[in-house]
Amino acid sequence: MITFALFGAGRIGRMHAENLVKRSDAKLLYVVDPKPEAARALAEPLGARQATEAQAFGDPAVQAVLIASSTGSHADLSIAAANAGKAIFCEKPVDLTLAKVEACIKAVKKAKVPMFVGFNRRFDPSFRALKKRLDDGAIGKVEQVIITNRDPGLPEMRFLATSGGLFLDFTIHDFDMARWLLGEEPVEVFARGAVLVDPRVRTEGNDIDTAMLLLRTGSGRMCQISNTRRAVYGYDQRIEVFGSKGMLRAGNLTPTTVERSGGESTCGDNPYPNFQTRYAAAYAAELSSFISSVERRKPAEVPPEDSRRVLLLCEAAQRSATTGKPVKVSKN
Amino acid sequence: MLEIAQFGAGRIGQIHASNIAALKDARLRYVVDVNADAAQKLAARYGAKVVSEREAFADPEVGAVLIASSTDTHARLAIAAARAGKPIFCEKPIDLSLKKVDDCLAEVNKAGVPMFVGFNRRFDPSFSALKRRLDAGEVGAVEQVVITSRDPAPPPLAYLKVSGGMFRDMTIHDFDMARWLLGEEPVEVFAWGEALVDRKIAKAGDIDSAMLILRTASDKMCHINNSRRAVYGYDQRIEVFGANGLLRAENLGETTVEQFTPRGTVSDRPLDFFLERYAEAYRLELSSFISALKTKSAMPVAAHDGRRALVLAEAAIKSLKSGKAEPIA
Repeated sequence: MITFALFGAGRIGRMHAENLVKRSDAKLLYVVDPKPEAARALAEPLGARQATEAQAFGDPAVQAVLIASSTGSHADLSIAAANAGKAIFCEKPVDLTLAKVEACIKAVKKAKVPMFVGFNRRFDPSFRALKKRLDDGAIGKVEQVIITNRDPGLPEMRFLATSGGLFLDFTIHDFDMARWLLGEEPVEVFARGAVLVDPRVRTEGNDIDTAMLLLRTGSGRMCQISNTRRAVYGYDQRIEVFGSKGMLRAGNLTPTTVERSGGESTCGDNPYPNFQTRYAAAYAAELSSFISSVERRKPAEVPPEDSRRVLLLCEAAQRSATTGKPVKVSKN
Repeated sequence: MLEIAQFGAGRIGQIHASNIAALKDARLRYVVDVNADAAQKLAARYGAKVVSEREAFADPEVGAVLIASSTDTHARLAIAAARAGKPIFCEKPIDLSLKKVDDCLAEVNKAGVPMFVGFNRRFDPSFSALKRRLDAGEVGAVEQVVITSRDPAPPPLAYLKVSGGMFRDMTIHDFDMARWLLGEEPVEVFAWGEALVDRKIAKAGDIDSAMLILRTASDKMCHINNSRRAVYGYDQRIEVFGANGLLRAENLGETTVEQFTPRGTVSDRPLDFFLERYAEAYRLELSSFISALKTKSAMPVAAHDGRRALVLAEAAIKSLKSGKAEPIA
């Protein structure tokens, strides 16, 4: 039984809290949020209590923290948790700056606590099965990876302005998937971004809403990523890995498999509409992986080093999109 | 009845000849080929006559020429046909050198003869339906195009050496599809290529795997992925993402039969060979050429399109060498 303090009572925090209380091997003790009433509203119906940061870190009964607060607070909370000797589950990204991610990695190493970064897509049952078959050699050597990642709709403009930009906020998931599926570190990134969905994305959000990227590894494996903030047909999440002995694909999931055939055409469900529904199983499974690694004192499946590598890819992509040139990714 | 003189009695020539034979309003009159046996065999099958180039061009009964000979003869034959005032159906590519393509286009324009370039994929029933629906506004403004084009197996090295390289030989089809689907001219190409399939291909100075990104002036983007070897068949897919939705055209299998087994559900592999996969496209491109001639309307794929695709291929080759995104002239 692992006991948790949850930081962040927002949308993601609520989802994690609900996943935690469903488990027999975990217990939610505290919810911490800058808004104590929000923390209380989440905690009490789930049998937990609102607490301050100091209370949560100070209580020896807390074995693990789940950090689902706003991005800017992830690194500081992780460092405080490490110093308090707590195991850490941190939502992605650890931070938007390399310096803070590195400080976090250092603190975690020094404290010898496990830290897991919530790249949830690796835990999607389909993507995971694809990866397993890839590793089992089902398609030989990987040559090309194609990742489609399209959000159903634009977030609010004020969110965009503080999100760190499309690559850091959104493509970051694809960079993690790319590293995971390529099986080698990308050494170069080419990125093209545009504002095609809504001009306010540029004027108010100082961001882009559409992108295509290419990644290349040292041995010449390649990966292509397609992104947009608005796919009217739902949350478009697909993966294709092409290898020397075949291809693996994972398509979109739909809420039902019902098809209607009419006089003119056949029509089925759209993909799940958002990340909460599409990745519900992945969020539950990533928590299982974290808890099991803490219980067995094994390294976390997605360590903060992965978050650092992904951040390097984000930065390279940003430079590439700004300069129009491919950008080499630092090896260190 | 349109009387056609066909140049080339090889693999692709046989396809065109059999498609001509199936048409009511056209007839294969002459076959011209340096290989007399091949010419004779093909001509005999369709009741045509083997003649020399000069005879074919000189006969006023010939209403059109179909050029399906080896690539290095396309431009020369097209120029000769233009000078003889014959409408031209020319297999892609017009030539591997832009200079020769330009010379050819100048002659064709001067003579004022219609010239069709055989970018067959535009006539594939699925791809042309996708394009029609795109043009009808079903997905709103185009934002992203993704083209997957993977050959089942590399051609012989001897062919690769004279092919002009993967971008001119294979990706050229995708460049044409990209222009067609984006609805705007790409202004920039970025290309990465590798020899991942066979080191011998690298030694021959070519690549066998590639990924490209094209961009238009209004920031529409297109991704192309290529491989010379897809063990599961000829992989030909298109996806167009727009403001109001997505249009996709998937691979075709020989049949739609699925087998449900304890280990999974198995369906046919994609059609393996371009002549099978695009059989209908070859038939339809020919009838569309003939119908444009009859109605004196513009060629649905004109010589200019052949040139633009080559311009993109050359920019992609430049990008491959420079490692940079290259602007399109």
